[in-house]
Amino acid sequence: MRRNKIFTITLLFVLFLVACQPKAPAETVSVTEGSPLQTEVTSPTKQAQPASETVTLNIIMEQVPDYDIVAQLSKQFEEEYPNIKINFDAMPYDAMRDKILTSFLASDANYDVIIVDNPWMDEFAKANFLTPLDEFIQNTQDYKFEDFVGPVREMGVVDGKIYGIPYYNYALGMIVRQDLFDDPKLQEDFQKQFNQPLTVPTTLEDYLKVGKFFKDHGTFGAAMQPQRGYKIFEEWKNWLYGAGGNLMDENGNVIIDNDAGKKALNMYIEMYKTAAPPNSLNWGFDESLRSMASGESATMISYNWMLPTLNKPDGPSGNLAGKFALHEVPGGKAVLGTWHWAIPANTKHKEQAWTFISWLTSPKMDKQRVILGGAPTRVSVMQDQEVWSQGFGQAYYETVLKILEDAEPLARGPHAEEIINEVGTFLNSAVAGEMSVEDALKAAADKVREISAKP
Amino acid sequence: MDERDFKYRLIIPLALLLIIVMIYPLGYSLWVSLHDFKLTSIGQEHFIGFSNYWNILKDHSFWRAISNTIIFVVLAVFLEFLIGFTLALMLHRETTPFRNIFRAILLSPMFITPIAVGLMFRFLLNSQLGFVPVILNKLGINIDWFSYKMALFTLVLIDVWQWTPFMLLLLLAGLESLSQDPFEAAKVDGAEGWNLIRYITLPLLKPVILAAIIIRMLDAFKVYEYVYAITRGGPGEATETIQYHIYRVGFLYFRLGEASAMAYLLIIVILVLVLILYHVLQREHANL
Repeated sequence: MRRNKIFTITLLFVLFLVACQPKAPAETVSVTEGSPLQTEVTSPTKQAQPASETVTLNIIMEQVPDYDIVAQLSKQFEEEYPNIKINFDAMPYDAMRDKILTSFLASDANYDVIIVDNPWMDEFAKANFLTPLDEFIQNTQDYKFEDFVGPVREMGVVDGKIYGIPYYNYALGMIVRQDLFDDPKLQEDFQKQFNQPLTVPTTLEDYLKVGKFFKDHGTFGAAMQPQRGYKIFEEWKNWLYGAGGNLMDENGNVIIDNDAGKKALNMYIEMYKTAAPPNSLNWGFDESLRSMASGESATMISYNWMLPTLNKPDGPSGNLAGKFALHEVPGGKAVLGTWHWAIPANTKHKEQAWTFISWLTSPKMDKQRVILGGAPTRVSVMQDQEVWSQGFGQAYYETVLKILEDAEPLARGPHAEEIINEVGTFLNSAVAGEMSVEDALKAAADKVREISAKP
Repeated sequence: MDERDFKYRLIIPLALLLIIVMIYPLGYSLWVSLHDFKLTSIGQEHFIGFSNYWNILKDHSFWRAISNTIIFVVLAVFLEFLIGFTLALMLHRETTPFRNIFRAILLSPMFITPIAVGLMFRFLLNSQLGFVPVILNKLGINIDWFSYKMALFTLVLIDVWQWTPFMLLLLLAGLESLSQDPFEAAKVDGAEGWNLIRYITLPLLKPVILAAIIIRMLDAFKVYEYVYAITRGGPGEATETIQYHIYRVGFLYFRLGEASAMAYLLIIVILVLVLILYHVLQREHANL
């Protein structure tokens, strides 16, 4: 009887151990057309692929219009490189970070190519999750890495090593209803009221004047995005730059609560209270885009590539399409957002992954991508006349280039994601009137110091 | 075969299952909560004792999340009980017309997945697109459903919409199982209306009411989906509930050590609450 009991327990324990044992490294390899085998086979080893075998690259992407363009171009890649198949896993933003991290921690990578949002870059690189790309870049002929706009390129560099190749930018600019600024009646009224011409504002003081003026003339002055977390910080930091401030100084000291910070937040709140649509405390970029597209608001600080969407003849703006223009944010310096291509350190297909990335981001293909509507990252592409004529026009690309050349990310370092969310919470509390400007900025500064001190 | 031996062998699969799905994760998360465990630096964690716990106890955001959650739970469960009990009394009356149809319609919200309910109300209450603000504006009423002062109460109302049916279901079942004798005796003595409810229905229904409240409270403590789908904890920290806060720290910032410690503190809070309610429930049973 006792033997039976021991046997039962041992059997169950062994079954449990077997079930929990890590999977042996295996990779899926599909065999090319023309091969006698047309089904997928599984290789149990990490050996290099014979030339006749096809490698399938699994790529995680955010489900946005830029993804559609990449998916379209990847068919061309598969024709040029028949031994590499592309399998996209496109998903909403919220699901991406968890999935990427899970892939990093797996013994066998789920993704061979990933895209990295700028707040994650330092965190992933410092955790050794990414493959340094310096050698790949050096060994790729005519790649012209220096052609990527400086600040965009720098976002992929961590501790002197390149971990990311620019995919697209989402730097912020000021999108305005140009027809309102060009309206003779409004120009006359503005001149009378302020004794200066009505122009797209280049300073925060002028932006406030313009915002209130439009509100008094039947259009909300600014479709703002004071939503808690990322959105408000992304918008407000342009105001902070405009007031001469920053999150940290060159030595890494937190200075968000200095006089420039207070000025920027006071002005931002004044704009919200006097010129923004009512009940917009929770607005993100969807809501402000709708506000602009419906003609409710005259300006917004948003992603530069929202302009083509607003001006699209069959787009959301209806009769207002074509009446929007992109300008630099007041003060000139803008918040930079970027997505980068990267290769996980634990993928077995680094060579093939680089083949795909370097092909897609080469000067030739990057130009094609931008002509199809993708957000630009290369200087040569933004100065290309063919891109101007087939894309969204010379003025747009020249403005985007100016914006990108003087742009800085929200935060850097391994805690960027947390810093952005926490600062954005305090800013939103100040706009809601729950905290004073001084208290909110002091609390934000203390929080940033606390987070930065964590390992 | 020894009967005692046999019965222990029979529970081995269940015991193993419980160890795998409950005891092991609980033990592991306790271990994690005592280390500076971060998902981006696995293998480099150090034992730090109760540091995570002390830091959390000093963290304003944690306490704000706890107080938001308690306000949410108390308000939501109170309203759900009030409305659920009223509806149960109405549906219990044989004179109410179309009782079965109303019962089916009233129960339907609780069969919808909460994340879908969250998304549904996000659009219904949206100031630009929402059906509700448009109707209210036509009546001259302007409510900012997601303002700093209103947002948490809006989430409470959504929870009430979805989970009052559950309260209704339990209370109606309780009402239908009550013996009619005390009611008839009371009526003979001249009791009617509110007096019947106050002195007969409520005391007899107490065990069911307490069970329904405990179940709903435990469930309401888990509120996450509405916050995630609608407000993301904002404006400010006005709707940051404890489950969403734990999610943020653990899965957005990858600091699983702190998130696990928070989860353990939450377990303690809920356990204390359940013990108190259980004690009350036991006392009620003993008095019956």
